[in-house]
Amino acid sequence: MDVSGVLEAHKQKFKSVSVEGKVIPVEYDLGLLAAYDQNPVDEAALKKNKDEYLQSLCRDNAQLLFNEIFQLQTISDDNGVMAMLPVPTTLLPREKPLPKPKPETRWEKFAKAKGIGKRKKDRMVYGDASGEYKPRWGYKAINDDGTKDWIIEVPAGSNPMEDQYEARRDAKKERIDKNEKRHRRNLDEAAVATKMDQKAVDKGDRPDMDNVRGMKRKELESQILISKGSTASAGKFDNAIKGDLKPKGIKRQFAPTVADFSKEKAGNMSILDRVVGKNGEDLVNVRKAIKATKSRR
Amino acid sequence: MRPLTEVETKTFFEKLAKYIGRNITHLIDRGDETYCFRLHRDRVYYVSESVMRKATSIGRDQLISLGICFGKFTKTGKFRMHVTCLDYIAQYAKHKVWIKPNGEMPFLYGNHVVKAHIGRVTEDTPEHQGVIIYSMTDIPLGFGVTARSTSDTRKMEPTAIVVFHQADIGEYLRQEDTLF
Repeated sequence: MDVSGVLEAHKQKFKSVSVEGKVIPVEYDLGLLAAYDQNPVDEAALKKNKDEYLQSLCRDNAQLLFNEIFQLQTISDDNGVMAMLPVPTTLLPREKPLPKPKPETRWEKFAKAKGIGKRKKDRMVYGDASGEYKPRWGYKAINDDGTKDWIIEVPAGSNPMEDQYEARRDAKKERIDKNEKRHRRNLDEAAVATKMDQKAVDKGDRPDMDNVRGMKRKELESQILISKGSTASAGKFDNAIKGDLKPKGIKRQFAPTVADFSKEKAGNMSILDRVVGKNGEDLVNVRKAIKATKSRR
Repeated sequence: MRPLTEVETKTFFEKLAKYIGRNITHLIDRGDETYCFRLHRDRVYYVSESVMRKATSIGRDQLISLGICFGKFTKTGKFRMHVTCLDYIAQYAKHKVWIKPNGEMPFLYGNHVVKAHIGRVTEDTPEHQGVIIYSMTDIPLGFGVTARSTSDTRKMEPTAIVVFHQADIGEYLRQEDTLF
């Protein structure tokens, strides 16, 4: 039996899957299921019949996209046959600006100048005396700065009655405090540097430390003012403290007493419109109207 | 002395509109002379432009009063009307209550108006409506707020309060030092 005629008739019902007439090839980003047609619009056809032209254009491009999808590698499982989409190629612009580089600490600056690089150190260190691995720092650290030695030799020329354990503990604490102080200084400088001119920072100017104090003061003052207004009465009934801060720059502004009267009148009218309603009271007194109709019956 | 802010104007007009409704327009936009509302020591004064201009040359501490005092802003920011504005709101009143001669004195001593004292009422006055109170000879005596609508009043007892007292001309004597 020859079924070619039937097949041909069936085929005639549908449009061809091949699309021709694209001067510039259509670009695809199959990861996003997108096709970009850069061909110019046919002005004449568009003017002649806009809807039909746009529909046919859409249909052709969709067909091209589907052709492309059908060429992809497929997998089939219980849900049916599925195409494996590639990774999207279209780059989207970044939403937020690039983060600014963090201001360098004094050590980082020094290390850069001297060419000192970072070395990775292991967390655990082998202790020769104990014969086992111990953490480099922290709890049960290997380096206890000699505060855990069971015996300490009295250094020559020092007071034999002095507690050497205490001396070592004090020395350690001093070092920690010093480091803490430097850390805080770095933070302060970083805070100023982020507000400093970028050019000055690049030149290597030190942040003005007086400025740090001034900034801190300003910040503190603003926080105090906020906290003052955070009582139940918004600070109105607080007891006045001598030498207290007064909020600056908050001034009530009133219209001048003598000014353009037409403007004032117009302002009053607009407020009145809002208060009473644009058309004033209802033109029909509903209550009265109901009563009138009732009595007529 | 200064013009009212927008919020103040709104509160003020809301109170005034309870009595004269949209007729506030006639106060703002008068044919004869430019009038304006000015705030001075929490009081709102209705004053003509010429008087207001003259008053600008008087210091704030020295200026006691100017124009017609319409009322004052309370410390909680509400507006309270004074009887001094009666002449103006009586002209444009929307709802009126006339009281009998035997009810005049009790009202002028600051009491509420009872049903027995009422001579006449504007038809269809709703509940809680600002009303102007007149004597039977059409002299404005003060203003108040209705306790019931006109139709509900009919069923009430003669001793029931119909209009709540707000201000009366007896205040010119009772409160003469704080009124203006």
